[in-house]
Amino acid sequence: MTGAIEITELTKIYGKTHALDGVTLTVPEGSIYGFLGPNGAGKTTALRILTGLARPSSGTATIFGHDVVHSTTSVRSEIGFLPDVPGYYPWMTAEEFLTFSGDLFGIEESVLRERVKSLLDLAGLSGVSQRVGGYSRGMKQRLGVAQALINAPRLLMLDEPTSALDPMGRKDVLDMIRALKGRTTVFFSTHILSDVERVCDTVAILDKGTVVREAPIADLKHTGGSTRVAIEIGDQPVEVEQALTLLPWATECQRDGRVITCTLGDVEVARREIPQLIAQMGASLIRLEELEPTLEDVFVELVGGGM
Amino acid sequence: MRGFMVFMRKEMLEILRTWRIWVLPAIMVFIGITSPLLAEFTPALVKSVMASEQSGAVIEIPEAITRDAYLQFSKNSMQMALIGVIIAVAGMIASEKRSGTAILVLTKPVSRTGLVIAKVLSNWVLLLGATVMGAALCVAVTLMIFDSALISEFVTATALWFLLSAMFIACMAVFSALIGSQGGAAGAGVGLFLGVSILSAWGPGRDFTPAGLLSAGDRILIGESPELLWPILSTVLVTVLAVALAAFIFERQEL
Repeated sequence: MTGAIEITELTKIYGKTHALDGVTLTVPEGSIYGFLGPNGAGKTTALRILTGLARPSSGTATIFGHDVVHSTTSVRSEIGFLPDVPGYYPWMTAEEFLTFSGDLFGIEESVLRERVKSLLDLAGLSGVSQRVGGYSRGMKQRLGVAQALINAPRLLMLDEPTSALDPMGRKDVLDMIRALKGRTTVFFSTHILSDVERVCDTVAILDKGTVVREAPIADLKHTGGSTRVAIEIGDQPVEVEQALTLLPWATECQRDGRVITCTLGDVEVARREIPQLIAQMGASLIRLEELEPTLEDVFVELVGGGM
Repeated sequence: MRGFMVFMRKEMLEILRTWRIWVLPAIMVFIGITSPLLAEFTPALVKSVMASEQSGAVIEIPEAITRDAYLQFSKNSMQMALIGVIIAVAGMIASEKRSGTAILVLTKPVSRTGLVIAKVLSNWVLLLGATVMGAALCVAVTLMIFDSALISEFVTATALWFLLSAMFIACMAVFSALIGSQGGAAGAGVGLFLGVSILSAWGPGRDFTPAGLLSAGDRILIGESPELLWPILSTVLVTVLAVALAAFIFERQEL
């Protein structure tokens, strides 16, 4: 599949700081691609380069095959972009701003009128006559998503689109992103793991300017992090927990009542030895369950909990 | 081109909907109305001050005439209005960068050069409207007070002021793009104004540079015929170069 975005060895240096350090990734066309990383990882810098707002120190970046390092002119009509903190003309209404945005793309008047109406509905701003200067941050963020969609883009790039939203607003935006699946490629940066888990099919994890893992979410969970198990026992939970922590293949054991959760280094050995150990101690084993690692487990392991 | 036209339309709408519609026109209207009045009443005011001091000195003050009204307008425009122009347009590019609007606009089909040109052009249009309004009021009030008008000299002097102000607007685009803050750009603009004023006191500077336009209007109004070719040509040249430089600087900036 052709990459909607292809980035190769992209580096951006500010003084002595490597904001991006040889980033290479491919965003498949039609995918919803999460660009995940802690604050300061370089996500916004990468998006600024892709949108032509900044230039890389080295490396290449293409959108739909067009080099965007030197000029974004040829692809601007095909992309929609929402920056992390969108800025508006405070004297405009939402309808005026969307119309202005659509006019910049040269959208035919009758089409634009309809699109503005539907996007105002989508953003929950229909009938709001207040000027944008008086909007809350959430309203501005929703308007930002709407303006990014005004040209029905082939590629939608969103920088932290949900960070300023309340839970309902977040759900609305994520539902909207999910609804674009298959029609529009969505590339969005975030530090909110649950957002990525809810809507993305592929994710790149960025840390200190470097992509530490890029994979479909399902693969990432299975190939990433260590295996964890939940052990539910009938009695002597404290003693069993203490015994488990002494074993070389069990790390980070935590107990919550009668359920002990352990991270395992060697799953095969653990499967054999955990029941034996519990039996030898005269305790009863109720449940031994392998837990699927969450994205958070993988993320914490890869970036060392640097959120 | 379409993006430029749409952005230009936005600029004109912004002028109409914000404080920008009030500042320059208000300054020019104020100067247009008060200049003839000041010219008319200044001799009477000076006489009354002299009389109250009872110094015994006798100073003959000629009655004001039409020329004095226009000279007053010219002097006020060249100082108060020009500094007003400098301050009012200082944020033209800086404010787009600081507010983040430049990011939303420039990721759509609008070029940075187009944005700079639209900014300069819209301010020229505003300035032209304000100048015509102020000048027309000045002529009207002058006619009411003095019963005569030196229309052609006044129009020439006002046109030269407009040309010089248009150059300052273009230079402000450079400062606004370069410095990135309205206050900083305004400071640089006032510094440029002082520099041009100093240059106008030096003969070759007055004859061959835009500084010549600072006093050209006054000289025309008092009946002189200053050499205008080089000051006008150099002003046009600086204006064009300043717009190009502002676009060049803005094109290379990261947002």
